[in-house]
Order: sequence, then structure tokens, then C-alpha cells
Amino acid sequence: MIGMTGALLAAAALVLLLVAWARADKALRDLPSGSQEWLFNLEEDADTSACPPEFVSQIFSSDDQAYVLGLDSRELARQFRHERDGVALLWVQQTSAAVRRIMRRHVEASRRSQDIEIITEARILLQYAQLRAACALLFVGIGLAGAQDVRGMALYTSGLTQRIGQVLREFDAGLRVREMKSEIR
Amino acid sequence: MSAEVKLIPLQEAYDDLLTRSLSRVPCELGRLIYLASTREYNTGNYYHEGLASRFGPEAAQKALEVAHRQAFYKVSAFSLEELVQELERYLESTRENPQECLRAWQKLEPYRVAVPTDVNVTVARLFTSNLRLALAILRFRRQQNRLHP
Repeated sequence: MIGMTGALLAAAALVLLLVAWARADKALRDLPSGSQEWLFNLEEDADTSACPPEFVSQIFSSDDQAYVLGLDSRELARQFRHERDGVALLWVQQTSAAVRRIMRRHVEASRRSQDIEIITEARILLQYAQLRAACALLFVGIGLAGAQDVRGMALYTSGLTQRIGQVLREFDAGLRVREMKSEIR
Repeated sequence: MSAEVKLIPLQEAYDDLLTRSLSRVPCELGRLIYLASTREYNTGNYYHEGLASRFGPEAAQKALEVAHRQAFYKVSAFSLEELVQELERYLESTRENPQECLRAWQKLEPYRVAVPTDVNVTVARLFTSNLRLALAILRFRRQQNRLHP
């Protein structure tokens, strides 16, 4: 009996996940012309800076939603959700791409380094895994519930992205200084 | 030394642009559209005759580029309600028929060319998305006003 219930629950969760994924994917596909280029450029883009936090807060803000709902128009409410979810999903993709790029650069820098601290590397790796998981959850969460309902998680992810970017920049700067010193010697 | 020499005319050109040209435009959205219109479509370079003659083409181009980016981030940071008010103010200032203007903006999306190059992709998308929403809201409100005056 428990096995049957478990299987049903797992199937329901899988269906829910697929629905969320399909909705998120549709929102991304429905981006207006030109936006697709932005998506493709995310990987090659040299700029590793993430979206400024004040804009992340605005994307996931419930104030705009309250304003639109106050207008009492179903069509506007539907359009608002569609538009905002599209922006939120683009942000998730941009964040995910930025984190991957930062990490790739860090791995390249670490390979050149001779004095790697295992604890620091493990902590960075853990934060990286956390961020990738958060991005995946946000993607599904936006598809299922909408951008406004995952605000807390989005702000946490944004803060963590800024922190990991800062830590790795400092780490790489320190590495360069050590390399320069050893070259002088 | 050379950096100092370059920075001073840029700052002066920027201040001049703010006080002479931009202060005459009544709203932030108008300032953004004005600055975007100083950009050449083919090359992406900015050009302003008066500014270039006073400070040189290089300083003028840089000042316009900086001002454009700043105006863009300012408008992108508006809440939806603020953007609707801003759009209303802009339509009033154009002296065109607001209804026609609204329809053309919804159809042609001319505000897309107001996005500067090298800005954050998510912010650029937020800007165009918010403008689309603001236009739909304004149109809806005008329709409501006509139905229930």
C-alpha cells in the first residue's frame, strides 16, 4: 500500500515538475524578437557581473503585482505574469551562466597555483553547488508559482552570487600577486 | 597626466549636456529617448553638434554615452506605477495625438532602440517588458475612462 502511495506521489511530483519546466520553457520561448540573441550571448559574454541586486529585487517585487491586480483586469494580470516570469527566467539563466563562467575562471587560476587550500576550495565548491541547485529550483519554481512567489529564494541566490563573485575575485587577485612575487624572485 | 586631460573635458561636456539640453526635457523617459536619438543607427556612435563644437567630438560622444546609460538605468528602476505616470507625462509632452502615439508605440515598439549597448541583459529585458506593460495599462485606463467618464 505504502509502495503504491509512494509511486503515485512520485508520479504526481514528476508531472508537476514537467508542467513547471514546460511553462518556464514556454515563457522563455515567448521572449520578444531580439531577446533570444541575449540568451545565446550569455555564454560568450565577457562580462561576468551579475544583475545589480536592486533590479533583482524589482523583478521579484510584489508591489508591481499589487498595482496591476488593483486595476481589476484579468487580461492585464495575465500579461503581467507572463512578462515578469519571462524576465525572471532570463535572470536565472544569466545568473547561472555568470556563476559557471566565474567558476571556470577560478578553476583555470587554481590549476596554475601551487599552494591551494583544500578547505577554501571545498567551501567554494559547496557554494557553487548550492547556487546551481538554487538556479534549477528557481527555474521550476517560477514555472509553477510565478516570479513573485519565489522572491525570498531569488534574493538569497542574488546575494550568494555577489558573495561568491567577490570571494573568487579576491582569491584570483591574491594568486596573481603571489605569481608576480615568485617571478621577481 | 593624459588621463586627467581627457577626464576634464568629459566632465565639462557631461555637465553642459545636463544643464543645457537635458534640463529642458520634462521627464526622465523623454531624456532617455532624446539621448538615444543622438546615437547613429549605423555606427552606434553618439553625435551632438553643439556639444562637439564646444568640447570636441570625442568628449561629446563619451558624455552622451554615459548620460544615455545613466538615463536608461534610472528609467529601468522605476516601479510599474511610476513608469505609467512617466509615460503619460511623455505622451503629453510630444504634442502628438496621445491615442495615436500609444497605438504606434504598442505596434512598432520604438523604445527598443532606446536600450544602450553594453548594459545588463536582464535589465534591458526588464525595461522593454515594463514599457510593454505600461503601454497596455495606459491604454486600458483610457478605454475605461471613455466607457465610464
